[in-house]
Amino acid sequence: MASTLLLERHHFLLRRLHSLTGIAPIGVFLCVHLLTNASIVWGLLNKSKAEHGHAGVATFQHEVDFIHSLPFLIIIEVFGLWLPIAFHSILGIYYARSGRANTSRYAYQANWRYTLQRISGYVGVLFVFYHVATLRWGWTFLVPGGTKWSAEAAASTMAMVLQGGDTGLTAAGVVVSLAYMIGVSLLVFHLANGLWTAAITWGLTISVAAQKRWGQVCAALGVGLMLLAWSAVIGFATLDVKEARGTEQMLRSGHAPPPQVAEGAPTGTTSIGGGH
Amino acid sequence: MTTATHLPPHAAEAARIAAANRARAVPGRKVYVKVLRCDGPGKPSRWETFQVTVERGSNVISMLQQIAASPVTADGRKTTPVVWDSGCLEEVCGACTMVINGKVRQSCSCLIDDYAPAEGDTITLEPMSKFPVVRDLWVDRSRLFHNLKRVKAWVPIDGTYSLGSGPTESPESQEQRYVMSTCMSCGCCLEACPQFNIEPDQSAWDTSFVGAHAINQARLFNEHETGKRLKAERLDALMSAGGINDCGNAQNCAKVCPKLIPLTESIGVIGRAVTIRAVAKFFSGR
Repeated sequence: MASTLLLERHHFLLRRLHSLTGIAPIGVFLCVHLLTNASIVWGLLNKSKAEHGHAGVATFQHEVDFIHSLPFLIIIEVFGLWLPIAFHSILGIYYARSGRANTSRYAYQANWRYTLQRISGYVGVLFVFYHVATLRWGWTFLVPGGTKWSAEAAASTMAMVLQGGDTGLTAAGVVVSLAYMIGVSLLVFHLANGLWTAAITWGLTISVAAQKRWGQVCAALGVGLMLLAWSAVIGFATLDVKEARGTEQMLRSGHAPPPQVAEGAPTGTTSIGGGH
Repeated sequence: MTTATHLPPHAAEAARIAAANRARAVPGRKVYVKVLRCDGPGKPSRWETFQVTVERGSNVISMLQQIAASPVTADGRKTTPVVWDSGCLEEVCGACTMVINGKVRQSCSCLIDDYAPAEGDTITLEPMSKFPVVRDLWVDRSRLFHNLKRVKAWVPIDGTYSLGSGPTESPESQEQRYVMSTCMSCGCCLEACPQFNIEPDQSAWDTSFVGAHAINQARLFNEHETGKRLKAERLDALMSAGGINDCGNAQNCAKVCPKLIPLTESIGVIGRAVTIRAVAKFFSGR
């Protein structure tokens, strides 16, 4: 009862904070996070990293090293991510419970998105919890193969998490990879559609035409993020773990592979940058 | 006669289907009317099917009158006449609103030809699900009017002396507000809204979602030269629990509104107004 009163007294502030936290920091973080993870694929275009082996692995390691070089990382994590995500999730579930989906009778597109926004919220909470618990808090008993993700071997251990070990994609690995695929897809939808509804909530888009235009912008952003998300999951699920380990070893030792030296390639003394 | 080109896409599509059905409907055919019946508040519901004879121009109300004249089900069992609510019979009072073939609309303007064009077709009637049933198809829409009171959906002119004539309304403003003023409080927007659900506990009415109709009326009176005197009070009501923030943007309201009121635009307008009011209150304290 007391909690209900608290929610009612600060109704407007809490609702708008719920909307705001979805955009920043959570939405902004999701964009950065997906861009980082997709570097396992777009990093292949990074010719300067190719000398260390797999350019995608090297680029991703570079990105991870950069993040881990940030000062007060735990403070950023707790106040910039975990608390806002917990706030957005708990309030979101509370708000979603007030609605009753009726797409069976009113099968309009916006009504489907309303329903999917809530489903993606529920599934998203579970997925994010699993994701953070296994990869950040080290709950390896939830990972097939028991891989513990390591920031020093970011790509190879991530691939092992998704593949269920280091011997190629296992059946359990397929399940984990599919769960990631569904999880990130729903979260990307949740962000894109949430941006569309937030614009109405805050009163930015008013007319039907304005809502349609902004909807096209949100859809374009959603498609872009979806491509990043899918390339990241597929990139890690299909990565050759042994090749990735080799690249990471070379990055750590700071040396280019011998064959390239023999071929007269530049020596691998160039620093790969980041947190060495 | 309004041509389909003036209608938004969803309404134009519905009109096209209705016209195609009407074109092939044969007068004098027999169709079934399936009714979700209920003997009174708290009583269980049951389905009963009736056979009726359809003529050109028959509507749901005239079929219910036919059933009332001879309340016998299609399988020959004698029953009570089906109860329904109605008033104007020209789609301006909202009283006869019910769920027809799964979607909410007025029954007086619902032609059988549009819905059941062939011999033996069935048309399904249910009471609105978001309001308590009084009996059969008759529901109690008190909460709808209660919610209009929450947002002070009126022009304040009551007093002990004459206030004189009000400010002039510009023709542009009149034109813009006209469509909003055609709301007949029928309840379609509430029936189709996933955020507005039946609430038997009356003490929860003040904190549960007001609904699109009330938000639209708040906008209508906020944009009226005399009505805007209550603008701050209306916005405060809409900023509190059950106000504008409880809208989930499913946008079914605008799709089912029989008067084609731009309800989602009104929701956007009020959303902007409460954002501005919240900022103003934060910095000026009132």
